[in-house]
Amino acid sequence: MLGVAARMLRRRDLAEDAVQDAFVLIWRRAAQFDPGRGSAKGWLYTILRNRCLTMLRREDREIATEMSELETVSGADLVDQAFDGLERSTGLRQCLERLDAPTRLAILSAYVLGHSHGEIAGRLDTPLGTVKARVRRGLLKLRECLS
Amino acid sequence: MTDRSLDMLIDEVVLGLASDEDRRRLQALAAQDADVASRLEQARQRFAPLDDTATPLPLPEGLWDRIAARLDKADAPAAEVIDLAQVRARLGQWRRAALGAVAACLVMAVALGWSLLSVAEPLVVAVLLDSEGQAVALIESGEDNRTQVTLLERPDLPADRVMQVWTKPDADGPPVSLGLLAGGASRTLTIRGLPAPGPSQLYEITSEPAGGSPTDLPTGPILGVGLAKKPVI
Repeated sequence: MLGVAARMLRRRDLAEDAVQDAFVLIWRRAAQFDPGRGSAKGWLYTILRNRCLTMLRREDREIATEMSELETVSGADLVDQAFDGLERSTGLRQCLERLDAPTRLAILSAYVLGHSHGEIAGRLDTPLGTVKARVRRGLLKLRECLS
Repeated sequence: MTDRSLDMLIDEVVLGLASDEDRRRLQALAAQDADVASRLEQARQRFAPLDDTATPLPLPEGLWDRIAARLDKADAPAAEVIDLAQVRARLGQWRRAALGAVAACLVMAVALGWSLLSVAEPLVVAVLLDSEGQAVALIESGEDNRTQVTLLERPDLPADRVMQVWTKPDADGPPVSLGLLAGGASRTLTIRGLPAPGPSQLYEITSEPAGGSPTDLPTGPILGVGLAKKPVI
């Protein structure tokens, strides 16, 4: 769990805070967990990811200027590592491979790094509207490919 | 809302691109409608393999104590109704104990991929040896081929290589990939569609390029190999 948070927040200390916050939330909401509606692991990760996203959106600037230890690895490398880490036999990998490179990068940046539409547009130097449309088309293709 | 726009909203929420408002709206919908909840869960599952690609990091020492301390503090106002310091103190103790237990379960379950629950009594066990006869990994597999791989030596692999676990369900057939040990860590692997493992079934770990063998058959050097045995239980 800490690995996922560190990849999104890019700072070990913030990632530890996020895991701590997530477990406090998990403890408080334990009664809401319904095994019939999905796996516990998925539920834990969802709470953690949402916590990281909230921190990212709020403290965007601070993180961007104060990246320390984890900053030695670029976001693009982290996205590549995540993609390479997917087993070739998984549907997700096969379906991601069918997308064009900018679309794949946009979707992976959103999930792995927690980037917003605006950040993706900025980093790829692409208009915001184009990025939004591209992500939507990509998500539609992924959903069709994986169903 | 059309089905299509609902699916898009679900995907954007899972990906993290939706606004807080949209996320709350979807959560409210999912709480009322089992169909929406199941579609949301399916969307999460589609992207969940990406969570497993993060480099595992050990949790810092004292994390559970800090969480317990925060829960105690947060619970204090609710406890004021009782207005008995003793009860509050005892409540804190119970909560800490319960939290410790819950936390330990969660950590183990997440870290081991539910292996403790699922491979309680393995159908077969194999010890994989390297070319020098040293034990490098312990394999335990259950009826459903949920395979717990415990590495016994820290792997010494270049950054662009990954350990891939294989088995031969049919002694004369080709090896089948059980999965990758990303980050060189012990893991529980799941695979569907294979017959239950049996005695003398071959298991091996090979070194493959990042992402796994490009041919779906072992291509790299064997790091460990062994035949399964049925444990005496």
